[in-house]
Order: sequence, then C-alpha cells, then structure tokens
Amino acid sequence: MKRNWWATIVAALFAFFFMLPLLGAIYTSFRTDNAIASGPFVWEFDSGFTHYKNAMGAAGYDFESFFRNSILISTGTVILTTIISLPAAYSIVRLGFGGAWLLRIALSLRILPAVFFIIPFYKLFTNLAIVDSVRGLILANTFVNLTLALLIFSSTIKDLPYEIEEAAHVDGAGVFRTLTSIVFPLMGPGLAAVGVLTFIFSWSDYLFAVVLSSSNATPVTVGAANFVTSYGVRWGDISAAVTLSVLPPLIFATLAQKYLVKGLSSGAIKG
Amino acid sequence: MIRQRGDRVSAVVLAAPLLIFLSTLVVWPIYLGIKTSLSRDLLSEFEITPAGLDNFRTILAASDFWLALRFTILFAIVVTIVEGLLGFALALVFDRKFPGKRTLFSMVLIPIMIAPSLMAVMYRLILNENIGIIPGFLQKFGLDISIFDKRYVFFTLVALDAIQYTSFAFLLVYAALQNIPQQIYESAAIDGARYRQVIWRITLPILKPALAIIAMLRLIDSFRTFDTIYILTGGGPGTSTQTIGIYIYKTAFITGDFGLASAASVTLVLLLAPLMPKIIKQFRLDIK
Repeated sequence: MKRNWWATIVAALFAFFFMLPLLGAIYTSFRTDNAIASGPFVWEFDSGFTHYKNAMGAAGYDFESFFRNSILISTGTVILTTIISLPAAYSIVRLGFGGAWLLRIALSLRILPAVFFIIPFYKLFTNLAIVDSVRGLILANTFVNLTLALLIFSSTIKDLPYEIEEAAHVDGAGVFRTLTSIVFPLMGPGLAAVGVLTFIFSWSDYLFAVVLSSSNATPVTVGAANFVTSYGVRWGDISAAVTLSVLPPLIFATLAQKYLVKGLSSGAIKG
Repeated sequence: MIRQRGDRVSAVVLAAPLLIFLSTLVVWPIYLGIKTSLSRDLLSEFEITPAGLDNFRTILAASDFWLALRFTILFAIVVTIVEGLLGFALALVFDRKFPGKRTLFSMVLIPIMIAPSLMAVMYRLILNENIGIIPGFLQKFGLDISIFDKRYVFFTLVALDAIQYTSFAFLLVYAALQNIPQQIYESAAIDGARYRQVIWRITLPILKPALAIIAMLRLIDSFRTFDTIYILTGGGPGTSTQTIGIYIYKTAFITGDFGLASAASVTLVLLLAPLMPKIIKQFRLDIK
C-alpha cells in the first residue's frame, strides 16, 4: 500500500485548528494564576489543580448546579424526544398515518428560524409557570430536536425488513405488541443516533436557555458565558469550568461516533 | 401500508403525542407570535393593547433591522462557501487510506460535539489581548493588531465560524462520497483519467444533489447564528456584527419591546417563506 503521508499532514493541520480553542482552554486551566498573568507563553504547572477545585465548588460559583441542570435537561430531552417521535415515525411509515406531509411539516420546522419562537415560548412558559425550570427547557429542546429524530427514526424503520412484522401480525400480535417486542429491539442503531445527537444539541442550546432560564435552571452554556462577563479576570477558573463543560458530550459522542456519523448523514441526506 | 381497519386507531394513538406536542409547542406559539406582532406589548407596561400594523410600519422603517438582515445574509453566504469548500477538500483528503486516519477522523469531528457558546468562551480566552495565545503569537511576529477591530471583525467571525462548522460540511460530504461505487473510479483509472478529471467529471456531478442539500443546511443554520457572535462581540462594534437573531433577542429582552421584536420575527419568516417549498422538495421524503 502506498503511504499517503501528505494526507496525514493535511488532516492533522485541520485537526489542529479545530482543536486549538479546546487545547488553549486545557493549557490555561493547568497553569498557575501567576503564569497566566505573566503572559500567554509562561508555563508554570499548577500542581494543586486550583482552577478545577474552584470550578467544582471551592470558590463558591454556581457551576455545580449549572452542570447538574445540563445533565438533567439533555437526558430529559433525549427521553421525551424518543417517546414522542419513535411511535409517530412508526405510525407514519408503517401505518400510513398522515403520509409524507407530516414529515414535510416537521421539516419546515427545521427551516423556520428558532428565534421566531423565543417570544411565544417565553409568554407560554410564563403562563404555565415553567419559566426557569428544567421541565421547561426539556420541552424547548425537544422542539429543537424533534425533526431530526423523526427523520432518523423513519429512515431506520423504512430499512427494517417488513416480513418480520408481517409474520408477527399473522401470529396474532397487535400493532402495539409488534412495536414493543419486534420493532423496538431492532431500532438499536436509530436509537443510538437519536440519543447521541439529541444529547449534543440540547447540551449545546444557548438561545432558549438564555431566554427561558434566570437562575434555577441555568445550564453550563449560559453559565459559562456569564462567567466570562462576571469573573472576567479569573481566566484559570473559567478555563477549567469550560473544559469540564465540554467533556460530557465529547466523551459520549466519541464513544458513539459511528451513530453520530450515521445519524447526521441520514437525517441530512436521505431524509 | 394500511394492514387492517383497526390499525387506523392504533395509528392515531401512536401519533397522538406528536400531534399534541406540535399543537401546543408549534401551532399555538405561532398564533401567539403573530398576535404579539399586532399588539403594543412592552415589558415596562402592564397593559397589552391591539396596535394594528404599527409594529410592522416601525420595523420596515428601522434601519437596524435591515442592516442586521444584510449582515446575516452576507455572513451566511460567505461562511457557507468557505465551509463548503474546506469541508469538500477535507472529505477528498479522507477519501483514501493514510496513516493515522481513524484517530484524525475522530479529531476533526470534535467541533460538532462542542457547544457553540462554549466554543465562544474558549475563543475569548485564546483571543484575549493580554493572556490569549493568538495575540501573543501574532505579537511575536510583530503583528500588533486588534482582530475585533471594525476592519477585521468580519473575517475574524468567518474564520471562527469555519473552525466550528467545517466539520459538519466535511462529515456530510464524506458520507456522500462513501456512497459512490468504487467501480466507477476503477473504470475511470483504466481509461487513464487524471485525478483532476475524475473530480470534475465524475465525483462532482454525482455529488451535486447531496452538495446542494448540504449547502442549504449550512445556509439555514448560519442564518440563525446567535450564540457565538453574541458572546464574542454582542453585535458590535456598534451594530456592525448584529445578526437578525441578536436584533430580535435584544429588541425583546433588552429594549423590552415584545411587539416590535415579534413583528421582526414575522417579517423574517415571510421573507423566508417563498424559499421553503423549494428547500423541502430537495429532501426526498418518500415514505415507501
């Protein structure tokens, strides 16, 4: 095999630039405050991991609660999105419910600017008394992720062999029985793709979080951004907090990379 | 593919959660948004009163709105082109075997997994005038420029957006490339086609529909840009980098004029509406 070292070098260059911000944050988070203040290239290892300890509660920031909120919001969104879109996708694809126009409506949601919804959501959530609550942000993020989940689930169900379901039907299994004991166990890859993408996207939400949370339900994205303005000089602590905030989706998505790739490409291209 | 009459009921029951969700969190909010756009609705006043088309008159005459729209369109087009080209080039690089491919593939996907707002905080860190590694690096070469200066800010924001989103374009082009049957390349090689000819005559024509969708997705998404620019510049200097998202957010939650902000949202949707059927048609949504 010909060794394409030039391709390695080009790919590595791209990777370096893509990772530069994260590498910069990790680098700063392990330096002492003294080193940070003396200039960008002064290296002095912070052997006490002060910044990480501060970020995790030692300095009295609310970062811990931001982190907990992000975990709750993202996990909750994955569950709610699945509960809503998996049965619906089955109903559309296999039972002919609504046909393609329902998918088309869902797709137009993908195209509508999300910013249109911030004011109505704010008003609606105020009336329902779910502003600044984890529940409210789960609903908002489910709205964001519904289209992609529907597209991925419908294309996964389309690819399942219909004969198995037919056989189950002949054996007397009803629709619900077929869905829970035949279709659901075969949906592994689709569930993984929806799970990982919904987790990343709800972890990443900033727009709805900044509008619909003020303190109780603030996730890491808004927390970290406020951090910069309110503790502007504490760059070491900020770096540690951001590094920690980036990790959960990064680890999850790297482990489930295969499904991330499949989900993004099937949701985008095949539809 | 309806199997029997009883299935009709099951079909409705299974789709019910979706229908309930769509009506409460989509249909009702759309109604609320339109109603608000036709009202005088200020954060500072308790009373909400009907205002007819007043807000729309104000919005159509507001130069800030049109400037924000112009910036958003320009930014969306430029980043789509830049990221599309870079993503395509990177996908071609990855469409072969090379040492370290698996690890590097995981590494170039990392920006997809990082929240844009967290990326923006990291940008502020590495771009900070006093402690950032980028200004530090530039100074070593005697380049003492402020990259958020009015003259450079557009290029800076495009570059930062490219760092975050080139991976998306790359991944989608790469996935589309994997669908091209290997035999086509083999027969082209037998016919003695050069690499450049293969790209222009075979790869690009086959990829054209996929590339159109990818470009459209990037265009739609960059049209919504909010987080990164809001955290980095807040729309400044002045209002020079204010996207339409930032304009609507600020009008509603900082100026406190819900009516005007809703009118801006409705106008935006009306401007985008003619494009929607075209975009939806590009996706082949056959359910069979």
